[in-house]
Amino acid sequence: MSITAETAQAHANDPAVLCCRAEAGITIEAANLEDPAIFDDLVDSGLLTLDGALTIGQVLGAKLTKTCDSLCPLTADVLEGVKEAAKPAALESAKTEETPAPAPVAQVAGGTASGVLKIHIGEGKDIDLEIPVGALGGGTAVAEIPAGAATGVAGATAQVPAEEKVVRTLTKKHFTITEVKRGPETKIEGTTLYIREGIEKDCIDNQELVHDFKIEIITPDLYHTYSETVMDVQPIATKEGDAELGSGVTRTLDGVVMMLTGTDDDGVQIGEFGSSEGYLDENIMWGRPGAPDKGEIFIKAQATIQAKTNMERRGPLAAHTAFDIVTQEIRLALKELDESLVTSTEEFKQVRRPGKKKVVIVKEIMGQGAMHDNLVLPVEPIGVLGAHPNVDLGNVPVVVSPLEVLDGCIHALTCIGPASKEMSRHYWREPLVLEALHDTEIDLCGVVFVGSPQINAEKFYVSKRVGYTVEAMDVDGAFVTTEGFGNNHIDFASHIEQIGMRGIPVVGMSFCAVQGALVVGNKYMTHMVDNNKSEAGIENEVLACNTLCTEDALRAIAMLKANMSGEDVKAAEKKWNPNVKSTNLELISNVTGEKITLVDNEQSLPMSKKRKEKYS
Amino acid sequence: MKYGDKIIRMEGVIVEVHEGAVGIDLKGRLGFLKIPLRMLITDYPIKVGQEVAWNMSFPEQLSPDVNEHYVAGIDNRRQKEMQMSNQKQEVE
Repeated sequence: MSITAETAQAHANDPAVLCCRAEAGITIEAANLEDPAIFDDLVDSGLLTLDGALTIGQVLGAKLTKTCDSLCPLTADVLEGVKEAAKPAALESAKTEETPAPAPVAQVAGGTASGVLKIHIGEGKDIDLEIPVGALGGGTAVAEIPAGAATGVAGATAQVPAEEKVVRTLTKKHFTITEVKRGPETKIEGTTLYIREGIEKDCIDNQELVHDFKIEIITPDLYHTYSETVMDVQPIATKEGDAELGSGVTRTLDGVVMMLTGTDDDGVQIGEFGSSEGYLDENIMWGRPGAPDKGEIFIKAQATIQAKTNMERRGPLAAHTAFDIVTQEIRLALKELDESLVTSTEEFKQVRRPGKKKVVIVKEIMGQGAMHDNLVLPVEPIGVLGAHPNVDLGNVPVVVSPLEVLDGCIHALTCIGPASKEMSRHYWREPLVLEALHDTEIDLCGVVFVGSPQINAEKFYVSKRVGYTVEAMDVDGAFVTTEGFGNNHIDFASHIEQIGMRGIPVVGMSFCAVQGALVVGNKYMTHMVDNNKSEAGIENEVLACNTLCTEDALRAIAMLKANMSGEDVKAAEKKWNPNVKSTNLELISNVTGEKITLVDNEQSLPMSKKRKEKYS
Repeated sequence: MKYGDKIIRMEGVIVEVHEGAVGIDLKGRLGFLKIPLRMLITDYPIKVGQEVAWNMSFPEQLSPDVNEHYVAGIDNRRQKEMQMSNQKQEVE
C-alpha cells in the first residue's frame, strides 16, 4: 500500500521501501513508498531486509536509476539526488504547531518538575512506551520550559500570584479494630467489633434472590482458607452527622474489611469467567489499592443466589444489597463510638491551583449490564441506599469531586477479571486521584466517571459526551483510565480521540501488556501507561494484581506534564517490553530524587511449583 | 506454541444470550464457546441466531504436566455442585 505525503512526513526518518514495481527514471514520491508500520512484521518473517536503506526524508524527490521490484529497500546505489540526512525543516515546524501553546507557566517556580516521561502506543497493536530523555537539560526544571520560554517567563510573573484555593475538605477519622466476634448485638467495644448473631437471616429475608448467606471471620491465621470468587472488597465507613459524601467527617474502621463472595444455587461462581476462587492467600495481591492489606481481618460473606441469576443484573445486585445490611449495622455502631477511640485522623483538601496546568481525570467504569455495573453516589461511603446504577444513568459522564471518589462514591459491582478489577476499595484509595490532588504543579479540577455500554453506537454516544464535557472544562490535559480489557477498549480509545481532537494532551491508562493488547487505536493514542504488574503480562487470576497503583499514577502524571509542555514521545517497541516501565520510573526518580518502590506481583505469593512454572 | 501463527477465520452462531455472556456454537459442529459480553464487539442489539466471526488458531498443550492449583479448583467446584444438588433433593 502506498502512503500519503502526510504519512511520509510523519515517517521521514524511517526506511524507504518501494511499495510496488517502479521503472528507472521516475522521481520518488510518497505514492511509491510502502508504509513503514508494516516493516517489523516483514523483517521478522525474512521477507525484507533494511540494510543500507535510506530514510524516506532522504529519498523523496530523488531519481530512480534502476528499475526495482516492490518491497525493494531504496539504497544510495539506485538513486540520484539523495538529500543529506537531516530532519526536514517541515517536520520540525509541524511539531511545533501541534504543541499546545505553552501556557504562561508557573512551572518556573516548581522546582521538582519531572523530566520527560512518555509512553506511546501507536495505532492499534504496536504499543509504544515512551522513554524520558534524561539528556534533556539533565532533567532539571529548566528542561520543562519549552520553546517560547521568554514569553512563558514573562507570563509567569503576571500569573504566579494566583493563590491556592481550598474548595472543600474531607476528614477521615480512623478507629482501629483488632478483633471481630459474633455477639447478641452489633456493637463496637474498644477495639472489638461484635456482629449480631442471626443477622444472616435478615439478609436472606431482605432479598428474594438470596437463598443462603453465611458470614465468616477470617483472621490472618485463617488466610489459607478456601473461598468462592471474591466479588468485592469494601472499607467500612460512615458519615458523621449530616455531612454529605465527599466533605465533612467520615469515620472508618482500620484493620478490618468487608469481603463479598458467592455462588448461585448450582454452585456456579457469581461473576464472569476469570474467577478468583481458591485459597485466599494464593489469590489476593496484598496491598493493592483495591485489595485487603496483609494482617487485616476479613468479614467475609458468602451469598448463594437463585440459580442462573449469577450472570444477570439482579443476581449480583441482590448479593451486594444483602451484604450492605451487615455493613449498615456496623456503620450505625461506628457512628456511636466515642471520639477518644480515634487512632488517627487524615485530612484531604480539594485544592484548586489557578495558574497551574488544569487537568481532569476521566475514569471509565463498566456498564455493559449484568454484573458490569456500578452504584454511583450512595448516601454512605460504598453504600447502596441513594445510589444509582450507572447502567440506569445511561452510562453518560458523571462529574464528581476528587474527594467524593476518595469518600467511596463508587460501589463497584463489576466482575471483570479479578486481576484488573477495580474493587470498591480501589476508589476509596485511588492512587491517581491522590497523586494528582497532591501534585503542586497541576490543578486537578475534577473526576469524570463514564460507563462503558455494550453496543458500539452507545459507546460512541457516551464518548462524544465525554468530549464535550472535557471541552467545557477548558482543561490543559486529561487522563483517561479504564479497568479490564475487551470491548471497553473501543470506548476507551474513543474517549482519548474525543479529547485529543480538541487539542488537549491526553494520557491513557489501562491493563494491556500481552493479553489485554488494545483492539483499536487512533492517532491521539500516543501517550499510554500500562497498568500491568504480572510477570508474564497476562490476566493472572490474582485479585487486583494488574490494577492502577501509585507507580502507574506517577508515570502517567509525569507523562502528561511532558505532553502538556510539548515534549516528544518515543515510539514503543513492537512487542510488549516490561523494561520500558522500569526505565521510565528510574528517570522519574532521577529527576524528583525520590525513590519509587515497585509493588510486588504474583511471584510474591505462595504458589504451587507448577503454577510458578506456568507464570514465570 | 508451534502453530500459533496459523490463523483461521471461524464463524459461529449466537445460541444463548445472557445478561453477562453469550454462548456461541461454532459452525460445522466444531464446539461451543461461552464468552463474557465485554469480549464481544457488537454494532447491533444481540439476538439468538446472529452470526459472528473471529480469527483463531488451535489450542496446543503447553506441557504434559498437570497444574495442581487448577485440579484442586475443579474438584472443589464438582464437590460443591454435588452438595448443592443433594441439598435440593433433600428439600424436595
